[in-house]
Amino acid sequence: MTTSLSPRTLGIDATSSAPGPIPFSRLVRVEWSKATDTRAARWLLALLALSTAGMMLVPVLVPTSFDQTYASYLEVASIGQVILLPVVAILMFTGEWSQRSVMTTFTQEPRRIRVLNAKLAVSLLLGGGAAVFGGVVTGAGLGLAAASGRALEANLTVGAITGYLLYLLLNVLGGVAFGALLQNSAVAIAAYFTLNPAVALLGTVSTLVADWIDTATTWNWVLENDWAGHVPQISFSIVFWVAVPLAAGVVRTIRRDVG
Amino acid sequence: MITTTALTKSYKKVPVVRDVSLRCEPGTITGFLGGNGAGKSTTMKMIVGLVRPDRGTATIDGRPFVELPNPTRVVGTLLDASAMHPGRSGRATLTIAARMAGVHTRRVEHLLDLVGLADAAEKRVGTYSLGMRQRLGIAQALIGEPSALILDEPANGLDPEGIAWMRTLLRDFADHGGTVLLSSHLLHEVQATADHLVVISDGAVVTAGRLDDLLASSTILVRSPDPVALAAALQVARIDYVAGPGDALTVDVSGGRITTEVLASVARDHQVLLTELRQSETNGLEQLFFSLTAAKAATPQEAAA
Repeated sequence: MTTSLSPRTLGIDATSSAPGPIPFSRLVRVEWSKATDTRAARWLLALLALSTAGMMLVPVLVPTSFDQTYASYLEVASIGQVILLPVVAILMFTGEWSQRSVMTTFTQEPRRIRVLNAKLAVSLLLGGGAAVFGGVVTGAGLGLAAASGRALEANLTVGAITGYLLYLLLNVLGGVAFGALLQNSAVAIAAYFTLNPAVALLGTVSTLVADWIDTATTWNWVLENDWAGHVPQISFSIVFWVAVPLAAGVVRTIRRDVG
Repeated sequence: MITTTALTKSYKKVPVVRDVSLRCEPGTITGFLGGNGAGKSTTMKMIVGLVRPDRGTATIDGRPFVELPNPTRVVGTLLDASAMHPGRSGRATLTIAARMAGVHTRRVEHLLDLVGLADAAEKRVGTYSLGMRQRLGIAQALIGEPSALILDEPANGLDPEGIAWMRTLLRDFADHGGTVLLSSHLLHEVQATADHLVVISDGAVVTAGRLDDLLASSTILVRSPDPVALAAALQVARIDYVAGPGDALTVDVSGGRITTEVLASVARDHQVLLTELRQSETNGLEQLFFSLTAAKAATPQEAAA
């Protein structure tokens, strides 16, 4: 501590007019920084990218087990992403409670709903970014497959792309909702990854659960762009896994005493 | 200006803060003094909207904190220096605060210099000592060029040089018209820093006022070879006293009615010999504070015994 300790200008200006509210774009940029500027966050995002690329090797190297189509390759790309993207989203909403830096964040912007909205926007941006990355990796994987002289169906449809994008975003939103509601990293991650298989297990004995709540069924319809006749089931799944826990999480975040 | 009116908070029906009313004027440093668990932190968190009061209000410059459009431009807060992300560097932490406040990031470098962290700016906060985190927290509180500061135990973890530095900084801040509310569990720390004092115990304000007034000696020590007779004489004269130190008695004279002359007269009237009669060296504030904290500290021991 060799620097001079004597304070100089402290910048007190009692006459300055009160500045306006924090623009939402600034909140989003700050939340983006927080989500990407730590070593832990970068490892997680690197792992997400690596797993997406790594999964892509499977249909390239084991062609007999996979349809050699764009849609099929995109599904493979999504396998690792729908495990890690919800974790990224959960940590976005729980990390500051665990580190207790909510104390700083909510004194910087006491309208907590705006902070939540900014985190939600960043989560969706990361999900969208992951979708673009997955699309590029898929293209590269198909390129490799084609180079090996394989017969491909390069049938890239708008439906396949939007289905893949929406599927990733739904998984992001599931993580967002659990993180916002439970506000504890370990609890939210554990709950997310035990409740989903538990529902899937229930689905084996009840078609009602399987068709309406099990995301392995309902959100897969989204991934496969198979909306016909499934809109009510998909909608109910979104209400169950996203809308209700997210709404409860918003209320809980706004009301919670920061101790 | 920081004002609270009858702030009250209970956790699970246990009262933590009871009817706390404060008024911190621009240009002053208000020390918020109380033992551990007295309710200082909860009161401060209610002022900045982190904890919702059951009753009562708090305002900064006349507005509730949560209605300030960009609060860090009005009031800087340091509530818990350990509540920072350990994986972020000191500079990154301040840069986020600067962007939220909407001030130029040049100010980050200025404040890193001011708090003596320029050399450690790139290190992760997780590697900082508590004293360094306090310095970073003070820098974070100052980043938005606020006109008020709310600091919870800012001296914690600072070395003597750091404490002296912080006192100078806060005095300078107040002398430029800033309002400071700082808490401490150490009387001498508050005595050296603050010019107004609010003492809190068990969630309620027990005394408040200008430090000079509170520090003015408010007890008289009386000693007699026959303390029993002296005590009896005081009782007859309806003068409150406490036994001690030693076989002497201490009389509270803060009301102004009782002087050394009054006590000498009482002793003469009852023919009690006095061997000592003087203003007490330990001031009333110190006695009050020690009696409050001693009572708190004694409770668990009694429970264990």
